[in-house]
Amino acid sequence: MKTSRRDFLKTGLALAATVSAGRFTRALAADAPAAPRTILAAVRDGSRTAMLDRALAELGGLGQFVHPGQTVLIKPNIGWDVAPDLGANTHPELVGHLVKLCRDAGAKSVSVFDHTCDQWQRCYANSGIEPAVREAGGIVVTGDDHALYRTVEIPRGVKLKSAEVHQLVLDSEVFINVPVLKHHSGSLMTGAAKNLMGVVWDRRFYHRNDLHQCIADFLTFRKPDLNIVDAYHPMVRNGPRGRAADDVVELRSLLASTDIVAVDTAAARLLSQNPADIRHIGLAAAHGVGTSNLDSLDIRRVKLA
Amino acid sequence: MRRWLKPLRVAIALVFLGVLTAAFLDFRGLVPARLAHAFAAVQIGPAALAATAGAVLGGVALAVILVVTLLFGRVYCSVICPLGILQDVIARLRHRRSRVLRFSAGNKLLRYGVLAGALLAVGLGATGAAFTLLDPYSHFGRIVATLGRSALVFGNNALVPVAQALGGQAIYRVPPPAPSLGLVLFALGAAITVTALALWRSRIYCNTVCPVGTALGLLSRASAFRLTIDQTACTKCTDCLRACKAQCIDLRTGDIDASRCVSCANCLGACQHGGIAYRFAWRRTPRAPDSQRRAFVASALLLPPLAALPSAAPKPRRAPVAPPGAQNVDRLLDRCTGCQLCVTACPTQVLQPSVFDYGWFGFAKPHLDFGRAFCNFDCLRCGEVCPTGAITPLALADKRLTSVGTAKFERSRCIVETDGTDCAACSEHCPTKAVNTVPFRDNLRLPEVKEDLCIGCGACEFACPVRPQRAITVTARATHTRAAKAVEAKPQLPKPVGDFPF
Repeated sequence: MKTSRRDFLKTGLALAATVSAGRFTRALAADAPAAPRTILAAVRDGSRTAMLDRALAELGGLGQFVHPGQTVLIKPNIGWDVAPDLGANTHPELVGHLVKLCRDAGAKSVSVFDHTCDQWQRCYANSGIEPAVREAGGIVVTGDDHALYRTVEIPRGVKLKSAEVHQLVLDSEVFINVPVLKHHSGSLMTGAAKNLMGVVWDRRFYHRNDLHQCIADFLTFRKPDLNIVDAYHPMVRNGPRGRAADDVVELRSLLASTDIVAVDTAAARLLSQNPADIRHIGLAAAHGVGTSNLDSLDIRRVKLA
Repeated sequence: MRRWLKPLRVAIALVFLGVLTAAFLDFRGLVPARLAHAFAAVQIGPAALAATAGAVLGGVALAVILVVTLLFGRVYCSVICPLGILQDVIARLRHRRSRVLRFSAGNKLLRYGVLAGALLAVGLGATGAAFTLLDPYSHFGRIVATLGRSALVFGNNALVPVAQALGGQAIYRVPPPAPSLGLVLFALGAAITVTALALWRSRIYCNTVCPVGTALGLLSRASAFRLTIDQTACTKCTDCLRACKAQCIDLRTGDIDASRCVSCANCLGACQHGGIAYRFAWRRTPRAPDSQRRAFVASALLLPPLAALPSAAPKPRRAPVAPPGAQNVDRLLDRCTGCQLCVTACPTQVLQPSVFDYGWFGFAKPHLDFGRAFCNFDCLRCGEVCPTGAITPLALADKRLTSVGTAKFERSRCIVETDGTDCAACSEHCPTKAVNTVPFRDNLRLPEVKEDLCIGCGACEFACPVRPQRAITVTARATHTRAAKAVEAKPQLPKPVGDFPF
């Protein structure tokens, strides 16, 4: 699989970095870490694009994730037929900028889709994401076509043993998850892991068969290569659809990490929620797909203003 | 004049036929709602209904049609009515120029009988049903929407794999329409009848069955400018008979039956001898006793009362939900002609034509089918296109508060209760947060309905994963009401402000 090659390269690079930095760290501390800790970039108080640029810089640049000639899938939240100011969807400015960065990094194609809750054409248009992606040189693909989904086995799934997954997830070389952070009346929070419900055909199955467990189970099948959480103006009530622009608060934050559990753990904190209350975070950590122990991470806290 | 009148007529007719066909075929929302509305609202059936509700466009359209008819005869039937124009297209497929349709006296009893029946039905309060059964525009709509659109969607979806293989995103799969068998049969019956009659004798449908044609025919008989044969110029060459699609030119007597002439102007161009022309006819002396008017009155008296019908209507299993803007079910049934323009315009396809959901008189009229989709919170299209005013156009703020039904939550069926796991699909979709979740045992969240906030959009029912019976369902309101508007204070910023909480 392509992921294993990428993982191999990443590990290799990381090892090389450790070795070269070894002499320096040994001088500083007696018990040097064996491997570098996963980075969680947390940026505040900038524009969406500036915070994304900075977060990517902290993670070593987008070139760490997107190599020339690769096919890239960006999965924002486009679930609802509402304007960007309601905070129900990932902000189009952020998605558009990310598409552009991927194109600049030499991506062969950058595709964007979501299996929406409201009618998809209206969601794509009214979220502002479709025009933003087009303008940035990306491709907008429907998530509302059953023929585009293929059934996959999820051997490690507890409740979700198989799922019909959009072919872009299965066929793209790079998978970037770009959720918007918001309150959710059922799962308490929509973050990076919850956002991946939009890549499967049968969302009702999740609701019927232990929502939290299914969300966690999917991660054992496929983790995104990078998670970028749009927390510029998170919706703090009436989620996930939201009722009015009043439902959002201006937090001007952005989180980014390869660890989807870590990024959701931090995101829960941004919403003043206890990560332990959000069951899918714990269940995902139990699956070993990431860590909810923020102390084990290399958190890069950056304030731009 | 005789040379350009027909091309002008054909040009305008094709615009009407083209726009309305496109509107009823439209499965991607490409035809602007205003355009579809404008071309449908000037049709005489919808215009008459809308005018009685005080619609300006309907009133003006009705007045213009009546004045034009009184001046020049049944121009409406040749230029504006899509079913009439469609018959010309069908007839052309076979007749070309060769066939001569002889003068026919017409079946007066049938003509006036249908018109009298229609008027009687209106008089008895079955206005909506009468228009549904008889209005030519509405027949056209159902034929194109139910048969043509379904075929088009099927073809589109068959092309999607090809397009996707070529890497294109321009063609995408759309949900296949699922009109009920009753509606398909009805539309098919109308299509076959109209096609067969058009192939057989061109405009005989318009001159025998269509009450709009008959009514305008009565007016045409008194029109100011009438096609008249100039006996001194006429050589009885029958060129005009070849051109006439209404079989209304009697060369033996030299008369043109104004009540059946559809003012197509074909004969004007066909006559090489200048034998037919529009002549001002209002100077004439009063006519002899009027046999047609007598036939009309007689047939009206002969008609069996239609009032006995409704009692036979089957009981609906569950009261259907009328679309926002319909105001109440009775009003919808009164004013809707079942043309399907709202059904084709509905982007989520939650609007579906009923068969007997509303009873007999509700045939083909739209209801919200929450098994299929839900009514989009910010969508106004059905009210924007409706030509009769059956679905009144709403402002977005009003639409968002118009309550067409109420959600009923059945806790004993809910996943959270039965399985002890979180779900919240209902509250997730609810745009007004009439359905919200409240803390429940074991860190779970249970749905709760605030009825005063509910607008009955059906998002909760559509999303509910419980089968066979859903845990939350929308009960129709026979009369729509206004939902309450939730007021919330601005939420507080999560703590700590301006720093990282981790």
